Amino acid sequence: MESLGDTLWDIVICGTGLQQSLLALSLSRTGKKILHIDPNEYYGGPDAAFSLQEAEAWVDRHASISSGVFRSASITKPEGSAGLSFSRAYSLALTPQLIHARSKLLSQLVSSRAYKQVEFLAVGSFFTFKPSTDPEQKPTLARVPSTREDVAFETTLSLKAKRGLMKFLKFVLDFEGETQLAVWQPHANSPFNEFLQQEFKMDAELQKYIITLTLSLDGQMSTRDGLAIIYRHLTSMGFFGPGFAAVYPKWGGISEIAQVACRAGAVGGAVYMLGTGIKSQEISDNDIELQLTSGDKVKTKLLVQADDKTEGTFSISRLTAIVASPLKGLFESVVEGAPLPAVSVTAFPAGALQTEAGESYEYPVYVVAHSSDTGECPAGQSILYLSALTTPHSQDVLKKALESFLESVGDKQIPQRLFELHYEQGRGSVESKASGLIFTLPNVSPSLAFDDAALDPIKTAWGVVMGEDASNTEYMAFPDREHADEEMSDE
Amino acid sequence: MASDDSLPTLKVLLIGPSGAGKSALLTRYCDDEFDPESSTATIGIDFKIKKLSVRGKAYRLTLFDTAGQERFRTLSTSFYRGAHGVLLVYDVSSRASFLTIDRWFDEAEANTVQGVALHLVGAKLDKAETGREVSYEEGQALADAHGALFCEASAKTRENVRKPFCDIVNQIVSTPGLLSGVNAGGRTSGTVAVVAFPFFCFVFLSL
Repeated sequence: MESLGDTLWDIVICGTGLQQSLLALSLSRTGKKILHIDPNEYYGGPDAAFSLQEAEAWVDRHASISSGVFRSASITKPEGSAGLSFSRAYSLALTPQLIHARSKLLSQLVSSRAYKQVEFLAVGSFFTFKPSTDPEQKPTLARVPSTREDVAFETTLSLKAKRGLMKFLKFVLDFEGETQLAVWQPHANSPFNEFLQQEFKMDAELQKYIITLTLSLDGQMSTRDGLAIIYRHLTSMGFFGPGFAAVYPKWGGISEIAQVACRAGAVGGAVYMLGTGIKSQEISDNDIELQLTSGDKVKTKLLVQADDKTEGTFSISRLTAIVASPLKGLFESVVEGAPLPAVSVTAFPAGALQTEAGESYEYPVYVVAHSSDTGECPAGQSILYLSALTTPHSQDVLKKALESFLESVGDKQIPQRLFELHYEQGRGSVESKASGLIFTLPNVSPSLAFDDAALDPIKTAWGVVMGEDASNTEYMAFPDREHADEEMSDE
Repeated sequence: MASDDSLPTLKVLLIGPSGAGKSALLTRYCDDEFDPESSTATIGIDFKIKKLSVRGKAYRLTLFDTAGQERFRTLSTSFYRGAHGVLLVYDVSSRASFLTIDRWFDEAEANTVQGVALHLVGAKLDKAETGREVSYEEGQALADAHGALFCEASAKTRENVRKPFCDIVNQIVSTPGLLSGVNAGGRTSGTVAVVAFPFFCFVFLSL
C-alpha cells in the first residue's frame, strides 16, 4: 500500500467534529484526495459521545487544563460503581443538541443519503419547573403548551392567558409579514420578554413558557432572535409527524452524524487516521507540508482545521447524570399518533434556583432528559443533561437543579444518581477564517438546539476545495450508492 | 415476491486487516466477479445487498465493507451498530494478518450485542499450497476460543465462497432473540422518519 507521503493531497481535514465530518461527506463523491485526521483516539471532537471508560479517560485529560473548549472536568459516583452497567452500555454526549425538524442539517443528511445510517428519535414535551409553595408538597413540572391544540386543552391557564398565547402563536407563524413586522420591528433589539409583556400582555408565567421554548441559556435574547427561534419551533412542530418539533440521533446525538459522515467520506476514498494530529507545518507557494504526530510527512494543497481557541466569557457549565430510574412520566406522547419521545426538556426559569449563599441564580437552567431508547444508557435508567451559563456558582446551581428535578419527577422515592460528569464548555469564534492554504472553521456553538449557522462555513470550505467546479455541482446532493445484486439465491 | 422492505434485514460486517481479501470475498459472493489486479482499498461501495432464503424463509442480507477504515483501525462505533453478524477475515498466506485477528475479535465483541454471530474466515485459500503461513488448525482454534464459526475460502477459485455467508445467516436466524433484539435497518419503536411528512400542512393551517 502506498505511503501517505507519496500522495499530494487535495485537502487534509484535521478534527472529526460535526463540521469537519460534514465537509468530508460533502466532498465524498468528488474524487478529491482527502486525508482526514483527528488528534483524539475517537470520532466527534467536541461532539463526541463516550462510554464510561472513555468519559473517565477524557476527564483525566481535562481535569486541570485551562485552555481549549473543555475544562474543569470531574466525575463523581454517589453510589460507588453499584447500579452502573458495563462501560459500553453508555454513550454520554459531550454537547447534546436537539435538531429541529426544519433544520437544514436534516435536509442535507437526506439529500446526501447519509440519513439512512442514522436513527432519529422524537423530542417530546417541554416543561417548566414549578417550585412548591407548600413545604409539605414536592415541586412539579408544568408542560409547556406549544401548539393551538395544546393551548386549547391546557387546564391551568386562564381564558385570557389562553387567548394571549393563541394570538402570539398565530403572530409568530407570520412574523415576517408586513403587519407583523410593523409590530415587532420597533422592539427588534430590545429584550424578548419585554416585548411579550408589552405587545401580548403576557404575565411572568406565560413569558417563562415562551422563553423555555427558546432554549436560551442567558434568557436575555432580543425580540428579533426570540421570534425567529419560536418560529423555527412552531414550523418544525408536526413536520415529520404529529406531536414533536425536534429530533435526536440515537446512540449519542451529533456524534453519530459525525461518524456516519466520516464513513461516507471513507466510502468515497478518504483516508482516516485517529490519534494523529499536526506537529508542525511548513507553507510554501502551492502546498503545505505537514509533519504529523504519527511520524508521517504529508503534502496538501489545503488544510482545513477547527478553531479550538475560546473567546470571551460566554461558557456553559454542564452536569451529566446517570439516574437509576426510567423517569417514564417525562417520555409520554401527549398527541394521538405521536411517536414515543425519547427526549424531554425542562427549564428552571431565571431566578428559580438559589446559590448556597442564598442569592438567586439569574439565568435559566435546562435539564434535557434522555430515556434508554436513545441507546445512551441501559433500560431502567436515564440520562439527565443539565446546562447553565457559567458563573462562580453555576456548578452548585446545577447540583441543586438536579436535586430539585429528581424530587419533582420521583414518585415516593427520589431516583438514585449513579454517575455525574461535571465540566465547563467554552465558546470560540463564530467566524471562519481563510488565509492562503489554511481554512479555519469556527468553534462549535454550544447551544442546546443545533444552529443552522454552523452549516454555512462548511459550504464555504467546500467551495474553496471545489474551486470553479462549485458553480456546476449541487451541494450535498447525491444519488444512492449502488448496492449491486438484488437477486434471490437459495442456500 | 415480497418487497424489499418487508423482508427481515440482516446486517453483517466484514472486518479484518487491510489486504486480507474482504472486498474480493464480498464481490465474488455478491457479483461472482474477481479482479486479480485490484489490490487497492475499496472505493465507492457502502454496502452490498443480497437476498437469500434460508430454511425456506427469505432474508435481505446487507453486507458492510470497512471502506478502508480498517487501515489505521478507525472503524467507528456507529459502523458496528445494529450488526447481527461479523465476518472476520485474514489471509492464510500472511502470518502478520492472522496475528491482528485477536484485536479485531476484541473490537467486534466490544461494539456489538451479546450473542452476535461471529465467523472467522481464512481467505486466499488458493495461495495455501505454495505460501500458507497459517494452518487450518490454528484458525479453527482461534475461532473456537471466541465461540466463532470458521472456514477457509478463496475468492479466486470460488472455493467455499458462499459458505461463510450462508453459515453466518444460519447462525443469526437460529440464535434466539438476536434478530428481534438488534433491529438493524428496521426501525425501533420511537424512531421517526426525517423525510418530510404532510402532517405539517395540517398543523400550519390549523394554527
